[in-house]
Amino acid sequence: MKKSFIVSGVVVAVAAALPFFLGNFTLRSATDILIFAILASSWNIIGGYTGYASFGNIVFFGLGAYAAAICMNNLGLGFFPALLLSGLVGAAFGYLTGLPILRLRGHYFAIATLGLAEATKALVQNLGITEGNSGMYLPIPSLGIDASYRFFYYTSLGVLVILLLATWLLLRSKLGYGLIAIREDEDAANSVGINTTLFKSTAFSLSGLFSGFAGAIYAYQQGFIKPEPVFTVASTVKMIVMAVFGGIGSLWGPTIGAVIIEVLSNVLSAHFLVIHTIFFGTIVILVILFAPKGVSDIFRGRRKVGVAYFLENIRKNKV
Amino acid sequence: MAEQRKVILEGKGLTKDFKGLRANNEVDFTLYEGEILGLIGPNGAGKTTLVSMISGSTSITRGDVLFKGRSIKGLKPFRIGRLGIARTFQIVKPFPHMTVLENIAVGAMFGRRGTRHSARQSLEAAREITAFVGLEKVRDDPADQLNVASRKRLEIAKALAMEPEVILFDEVMAGLNPKEIDKAVDLIRQIRERGISIIVIEHVMKAIKAISDRLFVLQHGEKITEGPPEEVLSDPAVIQAYLGKRYQQLTK
Repeated sequence: MKKSFIVSGVVVAVAAALPFFLGNFTLRSATDILIFAILASSWNIIGGYTGYASFGNIVFFGLGAYAAAICMNNLGLGFFPALLLSGLVGAAFGYLTGLPILRLRGHYFAIATLGLAEATKALVQNLGITEGNSGMYLPIPSLGIDASYRFFYYTSLGVLVILLLATWLLLRSKLGYGLIAIREDEDAANSVGINTTLFKSTAFSLSGLFSGFAGAIYAYQQGFIKPEPVFTVASTVKMIVMAVFGGIGSLWGPTIGAVIIEVLSNVLSAHFLVIHTIFFGTIVILVILFAPKGVSDIFRGRRKVGVAYFLENIRKNKV
Repeated sequence: MAEQRKVILEGKGLTKDFKGLRANNEVDFTLYEGEILGLIGPNGAGKTTLVSMISGSTSITRGDVLFKGRSIKGLKPFRIGRLGIARTFQIVKPFPHMTVLENIAVGAMFGRRGTRHSARQSLEAAREITAFVGLEKVRDDPADQLNVASRKRLEIAKALAMEPEVILFDEVMAGLNPKEIDKAVDLIRQIRERGISIIVIEHVMKAIKAISDRLFVLQHGEKITEGPPEEVLSDPAVIQAYLGKRYQQLTK
């Protein structure tokens, strides 16, 4: 317990010191990793702890990005109020859409969330306030070049740290126990006195809150947003792969997954321009097969890796 | 004697239709405070359906359930759980990746007095119950590593942790060996001594006879008789319906 506190503290301290050693280009890549770490960790709340595999979490990111743009352009707000509102838009959207679609389970829930994200994208593409497919510009930060790279890095890091702290607290609260109970057996959870509808929607809403923050940071950093990139399904898939790769239902798993996946895909694409996706895919498949509970198990030194476990996993899941 | 005691749970004309199939037809029952009421009947008689209607996990087609005089028909399972009616599941439903202690603590967190307990207080309360049901040796093991007998005990412990006034036990002794059954019988008696009223569904005749103050018998979804165990079990209609002709011949 204390040891993990110290390790976490050291990791955050190293992350905070990074901008003093990295160039702007690398720092920008590191910021992207942090944004994906936020998305993957947010997904982990609904997908990992609550057991509802959402395939539409990108909708919160997209809404957050557009909410930030509208707040700053149309309402003339500063970045931080806009950031806060963007998160709240994601949270409210998650809560309200969660009430109906979280009644669905398994594949049906996955398809419904996918549809939700696509429908929202179509809406954004056709609304006047979002300026349709032509996209929206955001104000340019009035900072120097170096300072603005650092600004986005530290903002992302701050949000990620708050998210991890919130998740840590969540796991010790009744809400956290309730969510895990729902994942483990929803009928039993209900009959033990858990208001499953409320709990699931709250989890989806928390997921939306932090994904919305990520969207706002991305939008302000990018300076220009369009429906296609900020609502793309590919990003949902990416955050799920990161969470699963790192270890779903574990605190640090999705962050570890985000770092490894991003670094790996950057390195591979730098060396093998054409066929890097083949190598990348192979590595992901190998990890999923040999360490199905994610690489965070390897870090924790659990003996849940290797051929024997691989065979056990195949038998258990009838791969 | 029992008739003078206070009624805690009452079913009135409970009927359940699954499309064309009538699982329960006009079932009346009364559970008195501090009583152990045994519910028996052949497979498919509608025992679990009755429990599911009481606990809210199955809707009621017709009829009503009164808990302390108040209708609980149409309430969601979690509301009924919080009011003070806990149930166990025939096919046990532990939270497999949580430890035994956490499983029980979840019951304390969200049960009848759940709103008054924090997560930490619930974990404390769960310790006492872990000892009470005899699971302290496996307290920190994940629930999916338990053997059948311990899983049944965990199911009982989860219900108990909710601090209910009524517990519905759905075949908590199925699959146990005779020694384990004796222990389970003791445990259920001790639970009654805590002031909890109990409905027990069971196929193990020896146990149900030993434990129940009264029995009631379902067949084809209808109540065929009720009364003291000896009386009910020697009723020719019950022997015929439930235990079969062969048993009748054997005991002659």
